[in-house]
Amino acid sequence: MHRRSTVAVLAVSLATLLPPDPVLGQGQAGTQQPPSTVGMVLKGKAPVSDAVLAVKLPRPQEATLANGLRVMVLEDHRLPRISFQLMIPGAGGYYDPAAQVGLSGMTAQLMREGTTTKSSQQVSQALETMSASVNVFSGASGPTATMSGNALSENFPRLFELAADVLLNPSFPADEWDRLKTRTRAGLTQQRTQPQFLAQERFSKVVFGAHPASRVSATPETLDAITRDAMVECHRTRFVPDHALIAFAGDITLAAARTLVESKLGAWKKAGAPKPPVAEPAPAGPTKGYLITRPGSVQTSFVVGAQSMTRTDPDYVPLTVANRVLGGPIGRLFRHLREEKGYTYGVGSIFSAPEYRGQWSASTSVRTEVTEPALNDLLADIEAMRTAPVPEKELNDHKRAIVAGFALSLESPEQLLGYYVQSWMYGLPADYWDKYPALISGVTAAQAQAAAAKYWDPSKLQIVAVGDAKITEIMKKRGALELYDADGKMTP
Amino acid sequence: MLCLPLREVPQMAASVRRLVAASPIVLVATLTLGNGFGTATPIAQTAIGEVKFSDTRLKNGLRVIISEDHAAPVFAIAVNYNVGSRDERKGRTGFAHLFEHMMFKGSENVGPGEHPYLIFSNGGSMNGTTNKDRTLYFEILPANQLDLALFLEADRMRSLEITGPNLDNQRQAVQEERRLGVDNQPYGKTFEVRDELAYENFAYEHSVIGSMADLSAATVDDVASFFKTYYAPNNAVLSIVGDVDTKTTLEKVRRYFEALPSQPAPAAVDMTEPAQTEERRTSLEDGLARLTRLDMVYKIPPSSSPDADALQVLGTVLSNGRSSRFYEAIVRQKQLSPSVNAFPGESRGPGLFTVIGIVTPGKNVADLEAAIDAEIERVKTGPIEPWEMEKARNNARSQLVNNLGSTLGRAITLGQDALFYDQPGRLNTTAARIAKVTPEDVQRVARQYLVKTGRTVVITVPKAAPPAKGGL
Repeated sequence: MHRRSTVAVLAVSLATLLPPDPVLGQGQAGTQQPPSTVGMVLKGKAPVSDAVLAVKLPRPQEATLANGLRVMVLEDHRLPRISFQLMIPGAGGYYDPAAQVGLSGMTAQLMREGTTTKSSQQVSQALETMSASVNVFSGASGPTATMSGNALSENFPRLFELAADVLLNPSFPADEWDRLKTRTRAGLTQQRTQPQFLAQERFSKVVFGAHPASRVSATPETLDAITRDAMVECHRTRFVPDHALIAFAGDITLAAARTLVESKLGAWKKAGAPKPPVAEPAPAGPTKGYLITRPGSVQTSFVVGAQSMTRTDPDYVPLTVANRVLGGPIGRLFRHLREEKGYTYGVGSIFSAPEYRGQWSASTSVRTEVTEPALNDLLADIEAMRTAPVPEKELNDHKRAIVAGFALSLESPEQLLGYYVQSWMYGLPADYWDKYPALISGVTAAQAQAAAAKYWDPSKLQIVAVGDAKITEIMKKRGALELYDADGKMTP
Repeated sequence: MLCLPLREVPQMAASVRRLVAASPIVLVATLTLGNGFGTATPIAQTAIGEVKFSDTRLKNGLRVIISEDHAAPVFAIAVNYNVGSRDERKGRTGFAHLFEHMMFKGSENVGPGEHPYLIFSNGGSMNGTTNKDRTLYFEILPANQLDLALFLEADRMRSLEITGPNLDNQRQAVQEERRLGVDNQPYGKTFEVRDELAYENFAYEHSVIGSMADLSAATVDDVASFFKTYYAPNNAVLSIVGDVDTKTTLEKVRRYFEALPSQPAPAAVDMTEPAQTEERRTSLEDGLARLTRLDMVYKIPPSSSPDADALQVLGTVLSNGRSSRFYEAIVRQKQLSPSVNAFPGESRGPGLFTVIGIVTPGKNVADLEAAIDAEIERVKTGPIEPWEMEKARNNARSQLVNNLGSTLGRAITLGQDALFYDQPGRLNTTAARIAKVTPEDVQRVARQYLVKTGRTVVITVPKAAPPAKGGL
């Protein structure tokens, strides 16, 4: 299409030379194997800069406080705003009792509903009058709870004082708990109308079994089992600083952040508990099809996938590249199922790689009539990644997409800081993000294929569909099929 | 919308500004915080700098806006075409959006699908989106790919390749987009029913996504004629923001775009909407919904109206955040709804102030409606607290600052404000305009526009599921 050199451009003081990338130097397209050019024609006449802008990401400054709390600051004074993110391992839904799924999530939400000195309404009014926010969040399955907030620089000290009050002195008012439960019940009802929710709920159960990673949400039953006492205890024992990180981005220095944390969170005492461990999920059972019938559906919504790996697994990088080729923007699935076949509006694949084995999945929604050919094509595209190496130009284009895209993250200090929060969370080496572009560029077609072959083995892929009952026979053609209704209950 | 996970353009909020290089000037505050705890202390407000930009019209009528921002090695480019679903004719609803999809299917020097492929494979991102008032295309890229972006935009503005197979393919994609977002969604049809009842003028009466039948009826000739009429340089605004040099960028723009011929200006759309004199009301059954929903829309003037800022503040007072009146009274105290939202939509023609509330299981939609009415009445007759006005002012400032970090948001806003208001620099005055709004202004617009004779009420009721087979 066009010649590429390995010249890197120094655009700003942040930029440094990227290690020369041998594969980017041979851009001339050879004969492409299907389906890599399906749904697209490359005329190669548009002027493309030969250079890949290499960026060196700014590093945050760090300190550890006496109570174990790690402080991280990415200074960026371009705009008068500051955000923070507090990560509390052990306070996530991962550690909730199975009968009380959602306990830590409810605890997190109720923390915002009143402190020993302020009502829910006073907290909201104080925050929103200065157009600032504080949110406490704990997901149903992850090990970590987060508290985040942001404000204009001029209001940040006040915001942080409020955040500290919410963190340290929540009063868990009984009347606010009743109200939160009512709102949450409505939300639990609403989410069951979304085909994507129904598909993901079943998929997580199938892939992770009884492991906490299978949890996607509280249920009406677990909500009823959560008590105010349990939340008070959850807050007391699990929202502790011992293994926590607080990360600031924006118009603030490490010294100022440290002073703020020490003065406002001084009462946050170390619990002395070891960091709670995580366990690997058991391998999923034999592959099956799963159909959730949703009356009135005019589309079939698919989630197809399996367990993936941990964040520090060496396979993470090659699978990142393979996944981009298959299911990234303008990847094979998109070009094949949408641009060639017109089966869908959108299709793609994603994967997670936390401290335990995560999940990989491809998903799409197609009109009911093309359920069978769309699923066949989806599976064929996955299989092609396993059986044939990605042609060189296609591989290089997708690797360049990842590497060159780093320049865009320089716009956002929050996004940059996110990389380093990841490093902290998974214990990645200090220079990991400096080397990451070279890691991506170094992935060979053979490595990408090997990762695809390992993780996308048809004998491991679970197929979940949400749609009209009339696709039952189609789904049965692929083997054993379990049927569920839209309330998640198994049906004959 | 062309594709990809994005459902709407990120950072489409009203305004975007960036503080560039200059030290923040600290002003003595005139505002105070008084919110129920501690002493109200004056806070020094950080001033926000102006966005500077050049504004040039090429010989062929293309308006070009360039704003330098060297904070990061990226740039964003937005092309706002002066065409939306309001320009569609009867029998061709959904066509402006279907056409948007065709803009990615190739031109003389760019193959079908090559445009997105080149943007993504060079580290960028892009999309297109259509609403009632405009069609927008945008890219964000590393700074060294300016020529690529200009070439791609110019080539399709000049020489779109229009073929039957491409049209058929994108027709299918768009029909799936409709199924995904409307026909397979709870409350998906509510918006269509609402607009059809609220508006009498066809321009805004029909949906952007259009009907399946009209999408099926669109022809290659329709595409060609639409392209010629609306995709002319004199019917578009090109805006570029980021790590670029204004002079050389303008030279490049001239090189890529200035030879494109202009076309006769499209006929102005008649947006006249007959005055509404009585409440309109309907209900519909929804087989995919599980909870009842109440939609109420009130006719308001176009966003260019002097009343638009007061209506914005009214939306903040009623429903912004948990300190809002709707949340406090209806969600938290009365528990009639898990969420009620109210906002004035941006609109070049007659607009709508929208109120949407879900009914809590076990509660009554009539009670929800009465509670909303009561809160609206309380705004009209009772005081608006100083902290509520301060919240609106701080929201405007904060929104600006938060959007300053995005070259893409700014490119879109500069271009769209040039197109809608002939004021590309409108974002520089937003915070000051909001600060001028008085409590009396808010009450006045509430009394003038939030009236039952000017509203349309749609109640969406879950359709009882038929008994499941097998007696379950």
